[in-house]
Amino acid sequence: MAKPIVKSKLIVITVLLGLSAAWAARVGEPAPNFTATDSNGKVEKLSDFRGKFVVLEWTNRGCPYTQKHYNSGNMQRLQKEWIDRGVIWLTVVSSAPGKQGYVTASEENSYLQQVKAAPTAVLMDPTGAVGHLYDAKTTPHMFLISPQGTLIYNGAIDDRATTDVSDVNAAKNYISAALNEATTGKPVSVPTSRPYGCSVKYSD
Amino acid sequence: MILVSCAILGLAVCASSQSPEESHSKVEIIAERNPTHLDRPSWVGLLFHLDKGWHIYWQNPGDSGEPPKVQWQLPPGLVAGAIQWPPPMRLGGGTVVDYGYEGQVLLIASITGAAKGNARLISGISADVKYTVCREMCIPVKRHLTLAASSDGDWKRWHDLFEQTRQQLPKPLPAGWRVSAESDQSRIIVVVRAVAPMQSASFIPFQPGQIDNSSPQEFASNPTGFRLTLKKSDQLIKPISVLKGLIVLGPGRAYEIAAPVAQR
Repeated sequence: MAKPIVKSKLIVITVLLGLSAAWAARVGEPAPNFTATDSNGKVEKLSDFRGKFVVLEWTNRGCPYTQKHYNSGNMQRLQKEWIDRGVIWLTVVSSAPGKQGYVTASEENSYLQQVKAAPTAVLMDPTGAVGHLYDAKTTPHMFLISPQGTLIYNGAIDDRATTDVSDVNAAKNYISAALNEATTGKPVSVPTSRPYGCSVKYSD
Repeated sequence: MILVSCAILGLAVCASSQSPEESHSKVEIIAERNPTHLDRPSWVGLLFHLDKGWHIYWQNPGDSGEPPKVQWQLPPGLVAGAIQWPPPMRLGGGTVVDYGYEGQVLLIASITGAAKGNARLISGISADVKYTVCREMCIPVKRHLTLAASSDGDWKRWHDLFEQTRQQLPKPLPAGWRVSAESDQSRIIVVVRAVAPMQSASFIPFQPGQIDNSSPQEFASNPTGFRLTLKKSDQLIKPISVLKGLIVLGPGRAYEIAAPVAQR
């Protein structure tokens, strides 16, 4: 008769290690596939973009770290530069209803026009499903996925973890560097960094 | 240009120098001793008062946020030491966990270089302080502060605050304790040999990107001490050779560790 001891120890360890996924989104591993609805009501899946580089950009318009990049026009410039070069750029809003940064699709579309941002699409993620899949911690938090579907960057947008617009130009932009390297066949030299910003406002 | 953009976006908190009401926080420079009774070394501090629910961050802020930064402006000959950080609280309970402070916190620093009798020098201290204070939203704050002349009542209260703060500061490992760590694919296990049994302990890392801050820590007591199992961060891609941070047993009982990590 099988002894239950090993099984119960495994259960205990699993419970103690908590709810977090084993590895949500680790560089070098397949990027988790997601299905989400964008701000125009279209369903977007990561697997639809196989064959292209995909940037995921977590955002919250009320966060001063995000405002640094939008008020300076930095994020809009990055989006345009890379979309023009064939990259798919998906902005993600994971604020839950009632939480700071929650917006409806039409509010988001108005905002994009106001700030002249033109990502490929904005994923409306009020349940936080995509956010938790990637373990997005901050706004901004950036991810880069290769055409083969591998996660090749997970971290901060740049190396100046401040709210000062004056730091934008002097900063080393990690997502640009990763894209420059990956699109020319080189390995990403800085594949992870501590993402900085305000916490993503998931539901409680 | 920033203010114009903020007006268009209708955001209330774009300017970075808000009033204490708008920033939900106050900060002032206080000194341990009245400058006319100067001793060597002398201690000054940044005393933060935060509105209920609002917090500032520890030297390692955790998953989000940014620690306060100070640039002291001192009379010639004086040098300020590094900020001494009291052990932080864990903030947030979901997948985003930070380290910081609520309510009131005093961040102290030593001032050295003043000769006895040069009491005037220490009252010339000012500082530029930048910090981010958050609750649901985050507000970046910049302040230029000067150590003000104060009443005798303040000196007693401030001296007590310095004493209380010192008692909370992390201490070196107690005599007779040994700490090491083991690493496997997904975890780092801190092994502590202590001189008495412990009921509970937790670990707070000095460096971001090593430990997953939101995962529960598994504490297991044994006759020679305890083991603390920590989940590695998704961000960690190179092995850690020494794990540095605080082992916290309770209020006022935080110890600094630098545990060599054996790779399993």
